[in-house]
Parts: sequence; structure tokens; C-alpha cells
Amino acid sequence: MHPLAQATTQPLPLPEVDWRAIAPELALAVAGVVLLLVVAFWPRAGRGVLAGLTLAGLAAAAALTVWNWDLERVAFEGAVSLDGITRYARAVLLAVGALATLMVAQGDSREGEPDDSPPEVFPLLLFALLGMVLLAAASDLLVVFIALEILSLSLYVMAGETRRLAAQEAAMKYFLLGAFSSAFLLYGIALCYGATGSTNLLEIADATGDPTADGTLLLAGVGLLAVGFLFKVSAVPFHMWTPDVYQGTPTPVAAFMAAATKVAGFAVFLRVFAGALGGLVVSWRPVIAGAAVLTMLVGAALAVVQTDLKRMLAYSSISHAGYLLVGVAAAATVPAGVSASMFYLLTYAFMVMGAFMVVQYVSRLGPPDDDAIGERSSLEDYRGLARRHPWAAGLLAVFMLALTGIPPLSGFWAKYYVFLAGIEAGLTWLVVVAVISSVISAFFYLRVLVVAYLQEPVGDPGAETAPGRTPALGVALGLAGLLTVAIGLAPEALIAAARSAERILG
Amino acid sequence: MTTYFQAYGTFAALLVLSIAFVAVAFGANRLLRPNRPTPGKLTTYESGMDPVGTTWSQTQIRYYVFAFLFVIFDVESVFLFPWALVFADIGVAAFWEMVVFIGVLAIGLLYAFKKGVLRWA
Amino acid sequence: MLLTATLFAPLAGALLVALVPAARQESARLVALAASLVTLGLAVVLAARFQTGDAGFQLGMTAEWVPAFGVSYRVGVDGVSLPLVLLTAVLTPLAIAGSWRMADRPRTYLALLLVLETAMLGVFVSLDLFLFYVFWEAVLVPAYFLIGSFGGERRVYAAVKFFVYTLLGGLLMLVGIIALFWLHQQATGTPTFDYEALVDFQKAPSTQRWLFAAFFAAFAIKTPVWPFHTWLPDAYTEAPTTTTVLLAGVMSKLGVYGFLRFALPLFPDGARWAQPVLLTLAVVGILYCALVATMQRDFKTLVAYSSVSHLGFIVLGIFAFNLQGLQGGVFYMVAHGLVIGGLFFITGMLEERRGTRRIEEFGGLQQVVPRMGGVMLVITLGSVALPGLVGFVGEFLTLLGAFLENRVYAVLATVGVILGAVYLLWAYQRMWHGPLEREENRSLPDLTRREWAILAPLVAAIIVLGLFPRPVLDRVEPSAQRVVEQTQAPSP
Repeated sequence: MHPLAQATTQPLPLPEVDWRAIAPELALAVAGVVLLLVVAFWPRAGRGVLAGLTLAGLAAAAALTVWNWDLERVAFEGAVSLDGITRYARAVLLAVGALATLMVAQGDSREGEPDDSPPEVFPLLLFALLGMVLLAAASDLLVVFIALEILSLSLYVMAGETRRLAAQEAAMKYFLLGAFSSAFLLYGIALCYGATGSTNLLEIADATGDPTADGTLLLAGVGLLAVGFLFKVSAVPFHMWTPDVYQGTPTPVAAFMAAATKVAGFAVFLRVFAGALGGLVVSWRPVIAGAAVLTMLVGAALAVVQTDLKRMLAYSSISHAGYLLVGVAAAATVPAGVSASMFYLLTYAFMVMGAFMVVQYVSRLGPPDDDAIGERSSLEDYRGLARRHPWAAGLLAVFMLALTGIPPLSGFWAKYYVFLAGIEAGLTWLVVVAVISSVISAFFYLRVLVVAYLQEPVGDPGAETAPGRTPALGVALGLAGLLTVAIGLAPEALIAAARSAERILG
Repeated sequence: MTTYFQAYGTFAALLVLSIAFVAVAFGANRLLRPNRPTPGKLTTYESGMDPVGTTWSQTQIRYYVFAFLFVIFDVESVFLFPWALVFADIGVAAFWEMVVFIGVLAIGLLYAFKKGVLRWA
Repeated sequence: MLLTATLFAPLAGALLVALVPAARQESARLVALAASLVTLGLAVVLAARFQTGDAGFQLGMTAEWVPAFGVSYRVGVDGVSLPLVLLTAVLTPLAIAGSWRMADRPRTYLALLLVLETAMLGVFVSLDLFLFYVFWEAVLVPAYFLIGSFGGERRVYAAVKFFVYTLLGGLLMLVGIIALFWLHQQATGTPTFDYEALVDFQKAPSTQRWLFAAFFAAFAIKTPVWPFHTWLPDAYTEAPTTTTVLLAGVMSKLGVYGFLRFALPLFPDGARWAQPVLLTLAVVGILYCALVATMQRDFKTLVAYSSVSHLGFIVLGIFAFNLQGLQGGVFYMVAHGLVIGGLFFITGMLEERRGTRRIEEFGGLQQVVPRMGGVMLVITLGSVALPGLVGFVGEFLTLLGAFLENRVYAVLATVGVILGAVYLLWAYQRMWHGPLEREENRSLPDLTRREWAILAPLVAAIIVLGLFPRPVLDRVEPSAQRVVEQTQAPSP
């Protein structure tokens, strides 16, 4: 008898299909496919229409997320788990997606000029979000890998969406290094499977609790997993791609990558390391803590010498990944580490998107750069911004001060919460390093304000072109600014929500 | 604590051993082999044929898209065979799930068609 | 409620000022002045309702803010903070009146001054360590923009140096605050930043030492205590004059207030452990900065150094750990605020008239602007602690306290008093007496009515409080006594 036919004699174990559990993901997938068809069959559809459809898809996913809010279970034989991390990350990611949609809708088109970015960016945004949301919910290493690939492939294409040479270069670098890190991750998954006999996080957690098991293979697997994740969240020493990619890609995509990839990446980082591998904390904590130290200090130190705002924001995002790693390092033994990291991600997402929105606004002020380096984001372009565009400068100040961690803006509470979790976990030395890094980071955030507020504009102010009408960007900026200030003044509700994310279901 | 270091110890020993293995193998090879370089030994290996042209050659980019589409549907058939074997046991649900699966791929093909990638011009 | 209204009235005023349409920038001045006067009025009512003789916190208010972290909005005043609240409320309207002629973005400037006032008041009245930290850092932002955006030539350098220096200290204090919170939570199970609860909480002496060190970093930089003072001459010199008035008059008190309110009662063992270091640094600061001040050619920098030198006396008094020293320290804070404010105002007026602050550019001004000279004389004498003027009471009490604690420090500090007289009176002599050599100085106008309105309250306060210090001292005494008891408390 044919071996395949033999297999059919056994009753096939079918996983129960729990549609409700993955309803938001399904909504995003359907919306993405619909948009792809709209783009293909209705080439004249304006960006407004596409953005509207994208927002509708996001709204549907958000409604389904709310519907699932109190659902706590492991679905699909442990492939997907619905817990606090999942729903918190879903909510944050969908909000980030909405802001990114507004930024993309604005694009860099001005009155009477054709837009450079193709309409496919909207479905790609939805597919990327699908991958991210799934990544945050994944509780099986294979699902982790698939979700990671969905989001990475979409982002590779989005990074190169315009014909600017810088964007093409960024996409290529991102793709090569991303594929490289995926290979690490896959190898790590394979080794973990070899060591524990499962890719399911719950079963891996059980296996790590067994003291008689051979640890070598598992530790090697954990190390490779760590490398893969550290790549994705752009932690030192795997950060090399970040500055080039953020600087080269179109600003809306860079903002989306900076905010959303971090949220999804750290959600899965927490679930795998603090959840499934929590039993091995003594083994991986030194590694993660070391990476945190390097990430905070190298990111902050290199940001100081940047002369391009997008590049500086890339280094700043590296150093913020370091603070988040402090949360991850604490998370295995202290539940506050999980909620602190989740809250940090929430506040960071809005601060950094806001900063990129200001970049997008300012890049519209001058004539487009013809030397193909990228968009206008040099610090020189910000000289005297406060006198020319007080609102944009004011928002820039809010975001920069929030990123510095000045009270009572949202970034302050986030930093505080992570420090608190670090001290609680007995990592006071790490918190002291974080404080030093915060002081270094004050230098470069302030430098932006120095340029925008304290320096006089150069050249002929008449040569500056009007930014044109920017309704979508205006709304996005207003929302990001409002959230940054409002979370700072009344963080209670969102902290409580983050607290409910502390319990990790496999 | 001993198991903690033992676990790393095995790993470290393996690392040292593997580095030593490669070093010894290549080192011994270098010591034992005769060294007679000829120009013929430096040419590119092309199954015994004389190499033609430079190593930097360009290919028609359209092949890429076709190869891509071929791979997608080739992989699809890999899923179809086992599905066909168990189809009867599962019932109608299996049919609809495969419809969705092929449907998504078909939408991709449709998109490619509308974008004009299938036209060889 | 009254205290909360006092605290946020300037912030509300700042919003109103920012909303004044660009076409009517001048009316922003009126709005700002009105807001600061309302604040002053509220502060006076506050002082009237204050119960003299009560050592505890009064007129307070408590509300939940972020219960998840145990953070609450908790404010109140006692004898130590009330005089400082009044000082802030008095100096701000004067600073706004002093900026009346400002042509460069007056709305922004005045709004920032008012924001600064709220932040500084917040530091003085916070009774929740977290709230205190929030206000502490919030002071930085308006101060940074005031120095960096409106200051002199090297303003950017000065502003960034000031910001980063102070942020470093603040963050180290934050680590200390978190650690204190954490220890308290572990011991009692209640998460709280409540000042009283944390004071009553027993801490091991070794813990107290490093926590004291963390708080010391913040306060020593902000005060500043020698050798952490290097940001100050830059910041004071480069800031616009009316900002310098607030920086020197009020902001410099934040650090010493922090020592008095937080570092001493929270960590008595740590404070006793660090006492010799602090006393030494204070005396070195008094002498060193007095000598540096003597050498200055820029009158504004001279006054800035004199400010560091005088703050040394306050630190000396506080770390004497006795009633005389603490009471004198608080009184000296008020006295110093009035005097240094006056000196910087006069500097600003001279600079407005002549466009320079260099001492050798002046000389014989007494013949041209006699009224200004008279005011200047009173303020200078107040600063060099002539008996009968306000500086004397503070300086005498702090030196008395230091003498009771350790004679050597008191004797050395007294040398600083003499040096203070030397540099200030010498500068006064060079600027106001002697022959009128420079042609440009012949046509200087004397004080205008607006300038009278600014200087008259200061001169009056300098004389009245110098002759009748009792009303202030009576209110300070019970609270200062309480701090003394807390500091002398035996270790667990």
C-alpha cells in the first residue's frame, strides 16, 4: 500500500477552527485583498478613496478586536493565543495603522504634481498589519515565523515604493538583512524543536521546566531566536540596517516601521522569552541585559552626531529599543516588566510617529531634492522653524520632549514604568545605565529644538514653497500630539489596561 | 548552578572541537599536499567546458516574473495532492477551504494579469 | 483648593497669553501682568489664612492622580514653603513688568515666564515625591526656552549646558525616588509617594547614604553647590535679565529647599553622614565664588557669582542642623531672592540704557542718575548684609547656626562676608562714584515710573523685613524646629 494512502486510514486530527479568535486578522486580510482588486480594476481611484477603504478595514478589525476583548483562550491547538498582550498589541497596532494610513494618504504629492508612491501601498500596509497582529497573537514558533514573513515581505516592498534611489537602496538593505535575520530565527526554531520536540510555546515552556533535559541544544536555539528578534527590533549589535533604511524609505513608511514593527516585535519577544522561556531566565537574562546596555548607549551616542533628522530618529529608535529590552529582561521574573514594556510601546508608537509626521510636513516646504539622496530631512531644513511654522514647531517640541522623557508627557511615564520594573527585578545597575543614556539622549533631542527654536532661518524665506493643503497629515499630527499630551496627563486607564496584559498564555 | 555551567560547558567544548577539527583538517592538507599552481587550475569550473564570456551576465527580467508565478502554482500543487487524499474524510468544509486557498492565489494571478505582467512585449 | 488655584493661576494665564491674537501683542503684557497679580493676590490670601505656630502642613489638598503607581496630587504649605511661595508670587509680576519693553515675541516670552512660575510654585508646595519630581523637571522646559530663545550671544550653549546638567541630577534623584518607593512598598505593602509616609518610614543607615547621594546629585546641581556650579554663570549671564531675576531669585532656591524639605527629613542618617562634606563644599563655594566675583568685569557675571557665594551661606545654615541655622537659611532664601532680584533688575536697566554691562564702561553715574544710585546703594548694602537690612538677618542666623555646630566653618564663612562686601562695594564704587569719564553716560535718563514701580516694592521689602523680621521668622520657626527634630532623630 502506498504510504500516503496508509496515512488516510488513521482518523485525521483536525484542529478546531475558531473563527472568532482570528476575526481581526481575517478582517485585515479581506480588506487587503479587496483593496488589491480595487487597485487592479479601478486605476483611477483617488488616494482619498483608497485611504477611506483602508480605514474602513482597520475600523472593522478594531470593532472585532473590541468584540473579542474579554476572550481569553488558546485557539487552533495552541497556535494562537488570546491574552492581554494580544489584545493590547492589536489595539495599538490598529491605531498606528490608522495614523500611518493618514500619512500615506497625504503622500508627498502637492498641488498639480503626480504622486510618487503607487496605490499598492495601501493593501501592502494592511498585509503588513495582518502579519504584525498575527505575530502578537502567535503562540507557536511556526506561526511566529509565518507572521514575521508576512510583515517583512510587505515592508520590504513598501520601503522601496518610490523610485528614489535612496528608497531602492533602503529596500534592498532591509530585504537582505531581514532575510538574514529570518534565517537565524528559523535555525533557532529548528533547534528549539529538536531540543523540546515541539514548536508550541506552551509545550516548550513545559519542556524547559524539566531539569534532566539536555540544555545545550535548547540554549543554542534560544540564542539564535534572540539574534533573530534582536534583528527585528533593531537592537545593537544587529542594528546596522536601521539608520540607512529609515533615512531612505519614504517618511510614512519609516514611521510605520519604527512604530508598528517595534510593537509587534516586542510583543512576540515578551511572549517567547518571558513566557515560554521564562524557566531559562538565568541563562538569557545576561544576554538580553547586555544587549540592552549596548543598545541604549550606542543608539544614544551615535544619535548625537547625526545631522539628518530621519537618521537621528532611527538611532533614537535604537536607543528606545534598549529601554524596552530592560523591560524584557525584567519581564520573566516581574510581571510589571510585561506591562511596562507594553505601555512603553503604546506611548513610543505615538511619539515617534508624531516626530515622523513633522518630518513629512517639513519635507514639503522646500523644493524636492533632485540629487536622489532622499527626502528633505536635514537638520538645516529645520532652522528657525518656530518662526515660520509655529504649530509644526510646537508639535515637534512636544514629541522631542516626550521622547526625552520630560514630565508630564507620555514618554515620561513609560520610562518611569520601565525603570520601576527594572528596579523591582533587581536590575538597578541596568536602570542606572538607562538613566545615563537618557541624559545623553537629551542632547540630541534638544539639538532639534535648538535648531527649530533658537536659530534664525537661513536663506530667503520667500524661496520656500507652500506646504499645500495637508488635511490628512493635519489630522494625524493632531491625534498624535493629543495622545502624547493626554496620556501624559492621565495615564491611569492605559496603565491599568497594560496591567491586564501581564498574564501570558503560552 | 553546576548544571547551568555544564550546559554551557558542552556547548563550549563543541565549539572548540569544531574549530579544531577544521583547523587540523585544513592544516594537515596544506602540509601534505604538493603545491604546483598552473593557470588552468584558476579558471572557473564549468563541467569541463571552457568558460565563455564574463561572469557578469544579464538575464531578461521577465523570466523572473514567470518563474515566480510558476513557483507559486507549483507549490500550490504540493498542497493539493495530500488534500485530495484526505478530502473524502473531512467533507464539504475541506472543499470550501481549498476554494478559499486557490481563490486567494487566483486573485494574485488576476492582479498580475491586470497589471500587464503576463504580456510578453 | 486655594493653594491649587494659586498654583495653576499662572498656567491659566499663560494659556490666555498664548491665545492673544498676533495683531494685539501688546495686550498680552496686560494679560500676563493680570495673571501674575491674581496669583500674588491668591498667595497673600493664602498667607493670611496660614496658622502661625503650627508646624505641620496646612491649606492642603489631596487627589488621586495615577493610583496604579501610588502617585497622587498632594499639596500643602508649612512655615518653610510659605515664604518661598510668597517670594515667587512677588517676583513674577515684577519680572513681567520688567519685560514691558520687550519687542521680540513678547507673547511667547511672557507665557513661558508664567509657566515657569507654576512649575516653581509646584516644587515648593508638592507633598508627593512624584509630583515634586514632575514639577522639578517641568521647571527645565520653560527655563530652557527662556535662556536659549531670548538670551545673549552664547545662549544656546548656556541653555543646553543648563538643561543637560540639571536633567542628569534630576534623573539620578528619580532613581532614588523609585528606590525609596520600592523599599517602602516592600516593607509596608502600600505603594505611595506620600511625603509624610516616606518620612515616617524607617530606613537603614546604609540605604539612607546612597539615597541621600542620589538626592544630593539633583539638589547640589540645581542650587548649585560648588563645584557643580559651572552651568550657572553661563545661564545667568546669557539669560534675558528678567529671566535671570526669576532664575536667581527663585529657581536657585529650589535646590536648597530640596535639601531642607526632602534630603534632611527623609534621610537623617545620610544627611549627618554627609554633613562634613556639605559644610566644606559650602565654605569653599562661599570663598571661591567670592574671589571669582571680585575678578569679574561684567557686572551681570559678578552678580551671578555673588549669588553662588551667598547660596553657600544658606547651605551652611541648613546643614548646621539646628534651629538658628535652618530658620536663618529659610529667611536668607527670601532675603537673597529680593536682593539678587533687585541687583539683576538694575543690571538690566543699565544694559537697556547703555547696551553694555562692563563695569569699566560706567563710572560717576551718581551725578547722572542719582535716584537709581540710591536704590542701587540700598540693594547693594542689603546684599552685603548691613545690619538693619534684610540680608543681615539671614546671614547672622546662618552664621550663628554654623558657629554652634562647628566654629571653624563659621569663622571661614565670615571671611566670605568680608569678601562679599569687597566685590560688591568695589563694583558699586567703580560704577557710581568717581569722575564721569564717558561721554555716552552723560545723557542717561533716570528711573522711569515703570522702573520705580518695579524697584520700590523690592526696596521696601529689603528695609521692612530687615527691621522687622519677626513675622517671617515666627511662621518659619515651628516648621524649622520640626525639621531639626527629624534630622536629629536617632537611627533605627
